[in-house]
Amino acid sequence: MIVQVLLVLAALGALVYFVRLAHNVHIRASKRIAFFAFIVVNIYAVLRPDDMTWTAQQIGVGRGTDLVVYLLVVAFVFGMLNTYLRQREISNHLTDLARTVALRDAELTNRDRGLVTEPLVTEPLVTEPQSSQTRSSKTQ
Amino acid sequence: MANDDTWVIIPVYNEVTVIAQVVADLHTTFRNIVCVDDGSTDGSAAQIATTAAHLVRHPINLGQGAALQTGLCYALARPGGRFFVTFDADGQHRVADAGRMVDAARSGFADVVLGSRFLDQHEGRPHRVPLLKRITLGLVVALSPVARKMHLTDAHNGLRVFNRAVAGQLRIRMNGMAHASELVSLLARSSWTVRELPVTIRYTEYSTSKGQPLINGINILFDLAVRDQR
Repeated sequence: MIVQVLLVLAALGALVYFVRLAHNVHIRASKRIAFFAFIVVNIYAVLRPDDMTWTAQQIGVGRGTDLVVYLLVVAFVFGMLNTYLRQREISNHLTDLARTVALRDAELTNRDRGLVTEPLVTEPLVTEPQSSQTRSSKTQ
Repeated sequence: MANDDTWVIIPVYNEVTVIAQVVADLHTTFRNIVCVDDGSTDGSAAQIATTAAHLVRHPINLGQGAALQTGLCYALARPGGRFFVTFDADGQHRVADAGRMVDAARSGFADVVLGSRFLDQHEGRPHRVPLLKRITLGLVVALSPVARKMHLTDAHNGLRVFNRAVAGQLRIRMNGMAHASELVSLLARSSWTVRELPVTIRYTEYSTSKGQPLINGINILFDLAVRDQR
């Protein structure tokens, strides 16, 4: 059936898309477009259920409701992956922050304990490659 | 002391009963030790403060990979470090093995020296790795094409030595236990020479109870599969 091909492609697309591509402006924009398109389709589906059924039959799904459920599953997976990646990005920032705090505290602690005698280091101790900064994208 | 140019980095998470002894043992050979307390809740930090080790405290628990990276940052900021050793806090490694690996690195044996508990058998020494552990770790190596390509026998050994050039370029992004596999793939993509030396692991009841359960392999594989390309 056509729908099976479409759904499997969508699922694989979601996976490849999120795992392989770095986030940038285009992807952020396309995600928002997809989000609005999804809402529009949903409103349309509520207002004209018969049209959904017709579309569903064209691509080999029995009822319009089924088609909406399938679309929902794909959208859900997209959303979950999106949230997961966003959450991990925040956790990366949190790690950098905690590390900076820990290293700064350690300078003072170990100086008090007499283990560090050299003058205070003034440049930042954590130097992250620039690429991790450019990745900081807002997701929806 | 002979090893003044060496820093030992110990990630510590809730190891209050053993950490002071581990540091004391190390201090007979290495002067520069930094313990990274990864947000322990059992008073490990206070215990470390009584030792001769430098203390760095994560304000929150971040994971072993993050603790290693923090320790590296701290040690690199101190002047004079040429070799950087990672050492587990639970007392499973032998100080003599670490000393041997640093000597090897100093002699130009390799840029990165990794400890392997599986090389023992080739030298006819008794094989002390428990069977289940052997199967688990063998599986990790078998599932990791990079480890196979590099002819590594033990991808998840906590005892490692890096020279300064390598340590300065390491950026461990996997905060949890996946950092071991992350390191291996990082080394594979680099031009550094990586060699293994046989080490003995002391499987005490304590260290076994704190080891990685087999099921955590699934978490590690997931983390590595969905990590983004940096």
